[in-house]
Amino acid sequence: MNLTVNGVDTTIESGPLTSLLDVLREELGITSAKAGCEQGGCGACTVLVNGASRRSCLTPVASIDGAAVTTVEGLGSPEHMSPVQQAFTHHYAAQCGFCTSGMMMAAQAYIEGGGSDDHEAIQEALGGHVCRCTGYVKIIDAVAAVARGESFDLSVTAAGTAMTNIGGMA
Amino acid sequence: MAVKTGRGFAAIEYPTGMNQNGDPSQAWIKVKPDGRIDVFAGTSDIGNGSKTIQSQIVAETIGVPYEWITYDNSNTDSSPVCTGTFASRATFVAGKAVEKAAENVRQKILEIAGKELEIDPSDLEIIDGEVIAKGAPQKKISVPDVAAAATWGYGELITGTGAQLKPYATIVEPETGKVDLPPHSAISYASCAAEVEVDDETGTVTVTRLWQCYDVGKAINPTLVEGQIEGGAVQGLGLGILENCYPYYPSVEHRGGQFGAYLVPGMVDLPQIDTLIIENPSSDGPYGAKGIGEMANNAQPPAIATAVFDAVGVWVTELPITPERVLRALQEKAAGGGAPKRDGKTVIFDSNLSVNTVGTGIAFGAAA
Amino acid sequence: MKAVGARVPRYDGIAHATGRTVFVDDVRIPGTLWVKAFRSPVHNAMMTNLDTSKAEAMKGVHVITSESVPLLEYGHLSALGIPADEPLLAKDEVRYLGQPIAVVAAPSEEAAMAAVAAITADFEEQPALFDVRKAFDADAPVIHDKGNWYTHFEDEMDRRQIRKGNIEEAFDRADLIVQGVYRPAAIEHAPIETQVCQVVPEANGRLTIYSCTQALYFSMGVVAAHLQLPLNKLKVVGGTVGGGFGGKVDTATETMCALLAQKSGKPVKWRWTREEEFLCSSTRAPWHMEVADAVTKDGWILGRKMLTLHDAGAYSRFSPYGLTKHSFHHTGAYSIPNLEFNGYVVYTNRTPTTAMRGFGVTSVSFATETHMSRIALELGIDPFELRLKNANRIGDTSPNQIPYTDPSTVPTILAIADAVGHDLTPEYAGMTPAPRSGDLLPEHLVGQLGNPEAH
Repeated sequence: MNLTVNGVDTTIESGPLTSLLDVLREELGITSAKAGCEQGGCGACTVLVNGASRRSCLTPVASIDGAAVTTVEGLGSPEHMSPVQQAFTHHYAAQCGFCTSGMMMAAQAYIEGGGSDDHEAIQEALGGHVCRCTGYVKIIDAVAAVARGESFDLSVTAAGTAMTNIGGMA
Repeated sequence: MAVKTGRGFAAIEYPTGMNQNGDPSQAWIKVKPDGRIDVFAGTSDIGNGSKTIQSQIVAETIGVPYEWITYDNSNTDSSPVCTGTFASRATFVAGKAVEKAAENVRQKILEIAGKELEIDPSDLEIIDGEVIAKGAPQKKISVPDVAAAATWGYGELITGTGAQLKPYATIVEPETGKVDLPPHSAISYASCAAEVEVDDETGTVTVTRLWQCYDVGKAINPTLVEGQIEGGAVQGLGLGILENCYPYYPSVEHRGGQFGAYLVPGMVDLPQIDTLIIENPSSDGPYGAKGIGEMANNAQPPAIATAVFDAVGVWVTELPITPERVLRALQEKAAGGGAPKRDGKTVIFDSNLSVNTVGTGIAFGAAA
Repeated sequence: MKAVGARVPRYDGIAHATGRTVFVDDVRIPGTLWVKAFRSPVHNAMMTNLDTSKAEAMKGVHVITSESVPLLEYGHLSALGIPADEPLLAKDEVRYLGQPIAVVAAPSEEAAMAAVAAITADFEEQPALFDVRKAFDADAPVIHDKGNWYTHFEDEMDRRQIRKGNIEEAFDRADLIVQGVYRPAAIEHAPIETQVCQVVPEANGRLTIYSCTQALYFSMGVVAAHLQLPLNKLKVVGGTVGGGFGGKVDTATETMCALLAQKSGKPVKWRWTREEEFLCSSTRAPWHMEVADAVTKDGWILGRKMLTLHDAGAYSRFSPYGLTKHSFHHTGAYSIPNLEFNGYVVYTNRTPTTAMRGFGVTSVSFATETHMSRIALELGIDPFELRLKNANRIGDTSPNQIPYTDPSTVPTILAIADAVGHDLTPEYAGMTPAPRSGDLLPEHLVGQLGNPEAH
């Protein structure tokens, strides 16, 4: 079997029923996609297959023979991050970082599909992804900012919504 | 049959650092020959931002740019003791240890700079990576030059250690719980209002808004503080209306073994969250900070339970407040039940849940 | 200030956003064996005839049982006087569904599963208890060799007690006594990274433990105690954790993997499945709390009686610590001068419970704040004003008789009242945390105040 992984033509040695997640992590050493549940329930393993977001844990590699697969490594490098990656950095949309790769790939598919900055539309599109840390607020903010075409100054962080120093304490 | 709106309110407090204290954290810092700073601490970053917060504290304390800091919490060979990242202690206790270590480094830099500038170290300060004479800013030497002088000229390593330990508060009277020392090092405070919609046909509770105010002592990183508060709010929402390892408690059947069967809050459950932060500094935390992480899911459940009562007039005091529980309570109310029992001056809610009704015979309350 | 108070870039932000943060599962060590557990299939049973011989005969398979552990029971909070009561691996009896009995390491995940499937044991089932109230009943079957509840608080008391003031007088004086029962559920920490570790036996005899622990030194201490090794034989590598929320304070995998690495002489790795994480990892405790408050018509809380049953599950773990913390905070953000608190750590046959965000206090906040709302309604008093009136102030004393030095209950309440547009009378709108005086120093609080300067 063959896949084009992040633009590189790759021959796959794993068995046909091996999950795409295991192919990426164990055979190819691409570790951004995470084994959060291997049940299709958390979204941490999400990658793009021919541009559509897919749960790699539930995708037997034989079912996508010949496809183009994009992982976070294919979005951008630390020196040249994609808009989604910049937005997640600028907005502190990652806390522990474990769901982040899958969340960003879903965001990438949403943006590539022409998604708007409407919060409800983002919540609907990314709704199957579990983040236990952030409460989703800053993830939605980040995706909305990309949808609006904002650029990001990575030397600072987005101002959040909290108002400080109210209440008149000495 | 209608969707009804209600509001509820709660105010809470939470101790920062381990209860009764006695939980050490330590750090050590070394300065590279070009003035860049290496921090070693054993404090895990579980998403709370320990790596960021502790680097900020070191940068601020020494007086160098944040970007100069390398933070290494990767292993127990190079890092000294830290009790761990829990009990809202990572910023509050471990952050104090790195502050102390950084202060020792600052003093060492001033000492060597004093020799180079021939000025008493107490007349020097460090601003943005430069050691400057107070009142005579033209007399200065950069921290990189000080570090180079230490390395190549004086044959010294600029280093500093710090340790934070509040002594363990012993319970000296087990009968009363009296302690010999304060069992908390600082207490954080918060208030929360919740707005819910309850569908009295389906029993479904939707949390539409949360207003929250936290006293965090000092927001060392306001974005991280927001992240803790927002993430905590959604976990509190989960506690209030969604999550249960044993959906038919006390039955142990039907445990969810996957995300499809265990209801963690998802993106669509997110209410509008309004966050307010007060900074009432603590005396023991770095720069007055208190812990914020743990308490962040404590205020929502009671605010939500009260809001549900406000909406549909039933109290559900077994969490989570599921549609089934709401409907059962509404049904009981419609049948004329559910009101508290009144006995003289005593008002007894939830008597069906009391241990007295399951035969323990424990004396409790006025009605026992 | 430049760095403190600033919204600086997150230290690990770019690493997270480029997928380059290295979590334990991302560490790649050639020749690593997979680990799987043989777990109890029942809730409570005597166990006999544990037979691992077929598994051990399989090629490349290594097995450990309770016999393999130098110190089988170690009290994680022995420093706090909380004795050990949980074996690392079950021996002779099992007390919860999913309790580990034997752990295998094998060349592949499939081989490890096959080895587990080849392990057998006989289980003579015993009555199991799941309801914390019934486990506390005098007639309940005894499910724990130390009894159905923990008996090792100070002076070997079987409960955590708080006593303050004169509780009976408060209840006599009360205009109204309000009682309620509060029962938050067990919930799962559900970090997206499940429990995971890798252990590598090094050439110099040390063990390198790649761990997702929230507490490197704590976990190292636990492994060292079970293996009876000095700390220089261990190196715990970690500090980067895919979510914890308290569940990764448990040393769930490290010790067993260290034993298997020692036994096999090879690197081993154990990544819990999501199902194991949900069904076998510790949970937040279910609690049973009964509150009775003695109140006056004008909204003073004179006294509180409280009974708490903390469901520890099958073993103590951190529960006695959690209950103590709970008791120290059972008045919430208020000054209540007369107290009678009794709390028990009760054993059931559930998965052992452990620390989770807000440990010990999440439960009491739910109980007492819902209760405050009920009191406000019963008395017909504004719920904000009821709370402001009783809010702890500088010099008020805690349940342990320690004066509060800098409480900010009042300003946080005022901030929320303002945010939601809730009108307060001028008396309350202008309130501060300053020491009590005048109308806000009623007779029942006179003589109850402490000196905040003393601490």
